[in-house]
Amino acid sequence: MGAIGRFFKDLNRNKAMLLMVLPASLWFLFFSYLPMAGLVIAFKQYRVSRDGFWASIVNSDWVGFTNFKFLFSTNDAYIITRNTVLYNVFFIVVGLILSVGLAIVLSEIANKRLAKVYQTGMFLPYFLSWIIVGYFVFSFLSLDRGVLNQVLANFGVDPINWYSDPTWWPVILVVVFLWKAVGYNSVVYLAAIMGIDRSLYEAAMIDGANKWQQIRNVTIPMLKPLIIILTLLAIGKIFYADFGLFYQVPRDSGPLYSVTNVIDTYVYRGLKATGEIGMSTAAGLYQSLIGFILVVTSNAIVRRFDKDNALF
Amino acid sequence: MGNLKKRMLPMTAVVLATSLVLGACGKSEGNESASGSEKPVELIWYTIGTPQKDVNRVMEEVSKYTAEKIGVTVKMNMIDWGDYTQKLQVMTASGEPMDIMFTSSWAFDYVQNARKGAFLEIGSLLDEYGKGIKDTLDPAFLEGSKVDGKNYGIPANKELPAQEVWRFNKNLLDKYNLSMDGVYTLESLEPLLQTIKDNEPGTAALAVDKNYKPYVPYDFIIENMPFAVKLDTTDYKVINVLETPEMKQALTTMHKYYNAGFIPTEAATLDSLTDMQTTGKWFSDKATTQPFADNLWSQSYGYPVVSTPQSESLIYNWSVMGSMQAISANSEYPEKAMEFLNLLNTDPVLRNMVDSGIEGVHFKKTGDNVMENLDESKNYDMPTFSLGNVMLTYLNPTDPENKWEEFKTFNEQGKEAPLLGFNFDPSKVTTELAAVSNVKEEYWSALMTGTVNPDVQLTKAIEKFKAAGLDTVLAEIQRQVDEWKATR
Repeated sequence: MGAIGRFFKDLNRNKAMLLMVLPASLWFLFFSYLPMAGLVIAFKQYRVSRDGFWASIVNSDWVGFTNFKFLFSTNDAYIITRNTVLYNVFFIVVGLILSVGLAIVLSEIANKRLAKVYQTGMFLPYFLSWIIVGYFVFSFLSLDRGVLNQVLANFGVDPINWYSDPTWWPVILVVVFLWKAVGYNSVVYLAAIMGIDRSLYEAAMIDGANKWQQIRNVTIPMLKPLIIILTLLAIGKIFYADFGLFYQVPRDSGPLYSVTNVIDTYVYRGLKATGEIGMSTAAGLYQSLIGFILVVTSNAIVRRFDKDNALF
Repeated sequence: MGNLKKRMLPMTAVVLATSLVLGACGKSEGNESASGSEKPVELIWYTIGTPQKDVNRVMEEVSKYTAEKIGVTVKMNMIDWGDYTQKLQVMTASGEPMDIMFTSSWAFDYVQNARKGAFLEIGSLLDEYGKGIKDTLDPAFLEGSKVDGKNYGIPANKELPAQEVWRFNKNLLDKYNLSMDGVYTLESLEPLLQTIKDNEPGTAALAVDKNYKPYVPYDFIIENMPFAVKLDTTDYKVINVLETPEMKQALTTMHKYYNAGFIPTEAATLDSLTDMQTTGKWFSDKATTQPFADNLWSQSYGYPVVSTPQSESLIYNWSVMGSMQAISANSEYPEKAMEFLNLLNTDPVLRNMVDSGIEGVHFKKTGDNVMENLDESKNYDMPTFSLGNVMLTYLNPTDPENKWEEFKTFNEQGKEAPLLGFNFDPSKVTTELAAVSNVKEEYWSALMTGTVNPDVQLTKAIEKFKAAGLDTVLAEIQRQVDEWKATR
């Protein structure tokens, strides 16, 4: 009785707060937790049965780990894992430096109106779909009509068939990704910078700190918790590649696969023909499991050095 | 205190959600047994094509007609060409309610989904409610679309064999006084392509996109995968088509053409030729024909197109299964669905209403079986071949009187390809097939369009296919082919 009574009392006292988190909690429950039951499909050969989805799951045969095999069956396993992880590491590191840098620059621009213009300009690419970005890139890289080849021609360089020469693609993909993502992330950091107590800067100025010293000793330490959280979250997704970036931007061009094939595109291409849901579920489970392990590990490391900034 | 709050939250959420879910479960059973009475049942129909504005309006009219005839109303959902396969795959897997759906060899794969259990086995329904279909349809269709000896879908009555042709933009043909006479092989095109290349910059001499595959005399087990048997095979040996001399020669020629500038430079990544066809900036391409196809093409492009064969006309599995309607495994009214399909394939009034819309609004009749599109028809422009028996549809004013007789002759003349009736069951080699698919995606388009040098890349591709487990798949196919052959 006591416990239940306290529960309701507590419920009542916090009802405003609880109501506020209710939508998000429901969302998580329905779209993240309930569907987890579907993970059993990864261990089944999924076949449709008459009486709907649940009956189909129950009636499908257990196949153990067969569905996972295709991820590791060829040399491609190494290539796709390498590509996925390396690109993501690059995105995280370079993306972090650029977004924080830009955020600081934006916050220091004296003309606030101009700062808003820059900010919006950098923010916009984030809203474009990869398909459209793919065409933008194509207009630069097209063999006969592309801007880049025409510029090269002016310098007397032979045109490059960009879509069948993998040499430059690691650079192209990183540039395109950063162009699209940095604006958004820098806005997040900018908001954090705006939230820093101005008196800290005043105190620094009184102590005779110049701009650079202020940034190093006030702005960056104040941003550290946010940087750590966002980076930890990004690490959790390190086994997920941005499908649009790696599929649409290189126009699904075969000769580029050695540098553009990532786990997500590999799964898509492998299962396009057979449409085995069990195998794609297996791939998803594998990715999230590795992501989970990575987050827990990196969080443990963070906690080791800096307990307050760890996620959990 | 703060901690307690945090812990309470998920609990509350769980309690709330559980009650919601339970509530929803309680409701779903029930109201089933209303059939048999006068109230018409609603059939949910998924079909392929760009969604049309007037679909609901037309279906209202269709429903009035069918409610009276067989006691059903129809709700049609169209899904665009590019999305159809994936959407239907998810919908059938998740048990979305539906009764009838489009399936084929090239979109929402018929054989594969029949094996997965997406479709209802219709043998007995066909006997009971589909007599009209059995009478009108060339028996080769039902025979050729059997999966493991059973029928799961109703093929549209249309052209049965497939024949590859070279199509030409007639304006350019005339302008340079070129002739299609003597054109048959890929190599025989060369002088024509050279003329166009020299005189018409900016025009694709041979219009090729990433779906292109040069014609080789092989019957493919799976569309665009390298497993095939030779068309004149006697031992039914399944081989890797990339290792055949015909393919090697075709790819070498393609590469020569690519280097000569006959082929669009971006061919290997080009999704479709639609832009070129709209602007008329192409000279020749490869297509699959049917009787009077030239008329059809000319009409749809708005300029004259002519064609000449580049292969024999043969009945393949994929041509038999080019357009089918299946009944969903979870259909609530399978008998009614079959009755409807029977009517669709035998009743000209219904068939033309579904195809062309409402008489007097979307089209007008100018003869017994001749019609003309009205302005409104742009709001209801359906892909005729995908909606059942084509031979019931009214003729266009430009069509010859004997159009459907010609179709019948065309069908009768078609010879059977060696693997007609054989359907590969990939369930034992899905792992290898996934790896092989990836290799195929990597090399196929670049090779087929001539973008890369086959002397180098073909060898590489063959090696990589082997590493991915191609031989295991070949052996499995061979085993099934041998088994199938023994039962014939």
